[in-house]
Parts: sequence; structure tokens; C-alpha cells
Amino acid sequence: MHDTVRFHYMDNLRALAMLAGVVFHAALAYSPLLHPYFPTADRAQSPAIDLVIWWLHLFRMPLFFVVAGFFAAMLLNKRGMAGLFLNRLRRIGLPLVIFCPLVIAAMSYSTLHAAAYVRNPSPVLLMIRQFSQMANPPAPPPGTGHLWFLYYLLFFYVLTWVARSLVPGKPGNFMRGLKPGWQLLLFPMLLAPALASVSAPHPAPESLFPQFWAFGFYGPFFVFGYLLSGHEALIDRFRGFAPWLLLASVALYGAFLYLLRRHVPTAASVPIALIEACISVWMTCVCLVAGRLLLNRSNRLLRYLSDASYWVYIVHLPILFVIQYRLMDMAWGWGAKFTVSVVATFAVCLLSYHLLVRKTVVGRLLGTRMPVAGSAAGA
Amino acid sequence: MNRSPLNWPVIRLLVAKDWQLFQQQLAACVFGGIVALCLIGMATGWSFYLGSLLLIVMLVCTSCFSISNSLLVERKEHTLAFVMSLPVTPLDYYLSKLIGNLVTFLVPFLAMLAGTVLVILYTPLPDGLVVLSLLIFGHVLLAYAVSLSVAMAVESEGWNIFAMIASMLLINPLIMLLGQIPAINDHVKADTIYFAPVAVAILLAQATLSVVVLAATGWVHCRKKSFY
Repeated sequence: MHDTVRFHYMDNLRALAMLAGVVFHAALAYSPLLHPYFPTADRAQSPAIDLVIWWLHLFRMPLFFVVAGFFAAMLLNKRGMAGLFLNRLRRIGLPLVIFCPLVIAAMSYSTLHAAAYVRNPSPVLLMIRQFSQMANPPAPPPGTGHLWFLYYLLFFYVLTWVARSLVPGKPGNFMRGLKPGWQLLLFPMLLAPALASVSAPHPAPESLFPQFWAFGFYGPFFVFGYLLSGHEALIDRFRGFAPWLLLASVALYGAFLYLLRRHVPTAASVPIALIEACISVWMTCVCLVAGRLLLNRSNRLLRYLSDASYWVYIVHLPILFVIQYRLMDMAWGWGAKFTVSVVATFAVCLLSYHLLVRKTVVGRLLGTRMPVAGSAAGA
Repeated sequence: MNRSPLNWPVIRLLVAKDWQLFQQQLAACVFGGIVALCLIGMATGWSFYLGSLLLIVMLVCTSCFSISNSLLVERKEHTLAFVMSLPVTPLDYYLSKLIGNLVTFLVPFLAMLAGTVLVILYTPLPDGLVVLSLLIFGHVLLAYAVSLSVAMAVESEGWNIFAMIASMLLINPLIMLLGQIPAINDHVKADTIYFAPVAVAILLAQATLSVVVLAATGWVHCRKKSFY
């Protein structure tokens, strides 16, 4: 029965997707592609960073939304719609309202401080420095920062209720009934229009105003996860395809990087969007297959990291910014700076989790110590 | 005569019944509201106006569906006769309708109001638009209160439809009238928010009238000993 089963691989995949976000954000500072746009962009850069992080970027959050959809369906079956809303408001809505202003304020403060004192500023810091010298500097638009995914999860829960109220019958059965080959071909087609409407690699939808493309890209992954719940054997149907999907994704990624260099990045071209969509879907499936094969177990370390991942993800960016601003004036190579920033950020985040969160009211708020997987779902 | 206490369990059940019946339409309106927010978020001129218009349409739809589902359809399909067989007084019935309708209307109303104010404050739109927007939302609130009160007090379907359409359509003359008041119109395109005394007076009148209309309907129901 679902009520008593713990889906370790889903828990672990969720934690991996969250923790990979720390590495991803740390690497952005040393990415030549993002150098003009990222506040902590460093003088030390490497194209090798671009080669790895944009690959990860294409399926990290899609995988997260699959897991969130999976646990949403599980929670819905267990507690009903009202129970789902109450639980999600407590675990997602409340942390978003509490932590979003705090982390954004912390990042703003450290960024303004860095703009004033860093001797080797990034282009973004230079721009902020110029703005701060104006009589009436323009205020940045309000946003959700790196917690945008919590904001969209709330929309997806509301849309789950909308879909259940409006859509008659069980269209999920039709989608589940398609042959895996068709699923793997049609799913990317569904995502391509959304990806073609934004620049490549796709940005984070941080605006307070919901974005069509984010619903069109992440929404189908949430639905995919929702449809998997109770039908986990569907993942096994992709097992035979997994090695080929991995190979095809690697090959397509080469084409993606080649096209990216030739393309002006205002909005992705249709071929680029299609490639992005294929890699996102296929690599998400590969991760699900690998997770079910290799991560469907738990030990104290995995459980601890799984519990800590939500807190770590919420607080990592302000901490990372402070560390990387300090590193900007040091004459180290990108490898050393990247390693130090990742290790130090993880150390501070995990220490703060252990001392301030795990056994406190904050831990209960985030649901990081709940005994059932579904309780921390989607976070 | 002792006043009987309110029958809260039945009031809760009646609210839940209305919610169940209204859920599908509300879901459609919520979906429309999200589409409208996305349109506004596209940050182009046409999408902003289309999104704003869609938001107002969704707001009016929510209010009309809410009143129609919980009161008019109930009479038309003779479910009121069943409700009257329950251990409820006219005041219980009034409260269940008031609570159910206010919740289903005020939640999207306040969300849209907050969204509109945020759009104005954090986009290049002039901040002076906040006052005009509040006055328009104030009118929608008053129109809703009037329509709800009429629906609770008057049985005629024709009068109810007239009250809903007329009160909501008065939004156009209101916008024209506000455009004729220099103390309001002169500050609409300014970058600062200025609450002229006349604007404050209109806002207060809208809020007070909304409460008075609903309270008066409640007073009438409180004095009733039977449903008719």
C-alpha cells in the first residue's frame, strides 16, 4: 500500500536535484557564457564549466518537478484536495513567504557591499556601482530569486485542482497507455514551443508575474510525475531505452552547443528548442531509471542529506554570494575558487541545518524530519 | 421569546454544498485569472491591456456565477424547498449564503487587487494609477454587495439578472465620471500616489455602502420568522 511504502529513490532524486543546484549556481560565476549577467562572475573562467553546467541545467529542475508531481498525486490520494492544499501551504507557501524576502534582502545587501568594495567587479557589479552613484537609482523589480520553483509549485497545485474540476474522464489513462517510444517522441514536441519563446539556455522564471513558458515547460513534467504516482512500473518501461537515450542526449548536446555559438540569444530557434526539449525529457527519464535502479535504498547518510536538502537549497545562494564576492579579488584559478566556494557553501549550509534547523521549529516548518516521504514532497 | 442559537453545523454544510456546486465555474475563473496574470507578465502594451481586461472579466464572472449558483439556481431547481426542511432559520440560511459567497468572491477579489497594485508599483506604469484602480475595485465590491443582497431579498429572476448586469455595467459611467474630476484625473499619470479628498470620500462611500447593504439584508432576515 502507498500509505506505508517509502519511495526512497524519489526522495534521493529530489535531494540530488536540490543539491546539484548548489554546484550549478557556484559554477555560474566561472561560466564565460553567463559572465555579463551573473553578479559573482569572476575573472577566472573556463569553457569547461559551460560544457558541464548547461547539460545539468537542461534536466535538473525538470527532474525536480517530476518528483514534485509524483508526491503531489500521492498526497492527494492520501489526504484529498483540502489536505493537499493545507499541507502544501504549510510546507511550500509558508517557507516561501518567510524565506524569500530574507534571502533576497541578504543577497541585495552583500551585492551592494561587493559593488562598493570589490576591486575586480563583474559587469553586473560595475553596473550596480554606477546605479548607486545616481541620485535616484532604479529599484530592481520584485522577484522570487532562486525560490521561484516554490512559487510555481503553488500554481501547479492550484492547477491540479482546476484540472480535476474541469477535465472530465481520465485522460491520464490515455497518456499512460501510449507506447514508451511514442511517449519519448511526443513529450519533447509538447515542450518545444515553450522553449522556443525564451532565450537559450532557458532562464529562471524569477518574476512575480507567472510566465507562460514556465508553465509550458515545467508543467508537463509535473503532470508526468503526477501520472507516474501509483504506476511506478511505467519507469521500468523506459529501462531498455535508457542507454540509447543517454547516448542520443550527449550527441544532441554537442549540436546544442554548436548552434548556441551561432545563434543570437534573444529567443531560442526552433531547432535549439527541440534539442533542449529532447535532452530534458530523455535525461529526466534516464535519471528516473537510474534512480529506481541505484537509489532505491536508504541509509543514515542519504536520509540525512535528503532531509537537509530543502534547507540547504533555500539558504545556499546568499552564502555562496558572500563567499564568491570574497574570492573575486584573489589571484586563484577557477578550479580552486569553484572548489572552495562549493565546499564552504555546503559546510555552512549543513552546519546551520544541524544546529539551527534539524531539531527546531524551522525543521518542523520545512518538514525535514517527517517519517514519510510524501510529507516532504515537492519541496 | 428566547432567540434560538445559530445552527453552525448546518450553516457549514450549506456553505460546503454551495462550494461543491460552484467549484467547476470557480476553477474556470481561476484558470482565466492565471492566464490573465501571465499576459500581464509578458510586459508588452497589448498583453497588459488584454490581461487587465481578462482579470476584470474573471472577477465579474466569479461574482455572477457565485450568486447565480448559490441562490438563483437553488430557487429555480426547487432545492430551496429541501433546504427549508432542514433545521435552519432564515438567519442561518442568510449567514450560510453570505459566508459562502463572500469567501468565494473575496479570495479572488483580493488576489486580483493585490496583483493589480503590484503591477502598477513595479512596472513603468505611473504609480498614480493606484488610486483609480482602487476606485474601480471599490465599485466592483459595491456592485457585488448590491447583487448579493438583491438575490437574497428578491425572488424574481429577472430583477436579479437586472441587478447583476446593471450594477456591473455601471463601471463604465464610473470611469467616465472619475475622468471628469480634476482632483483624481490630474494625478492618474503622475509618478506619485495622491489620495485626493474626493477619492478618499468615494472609497469610503463604496466600502460603507457595501457593508450597509449587506447588513440591511441581514437585519431583514433576522426579523423573518419564515422563509417567505
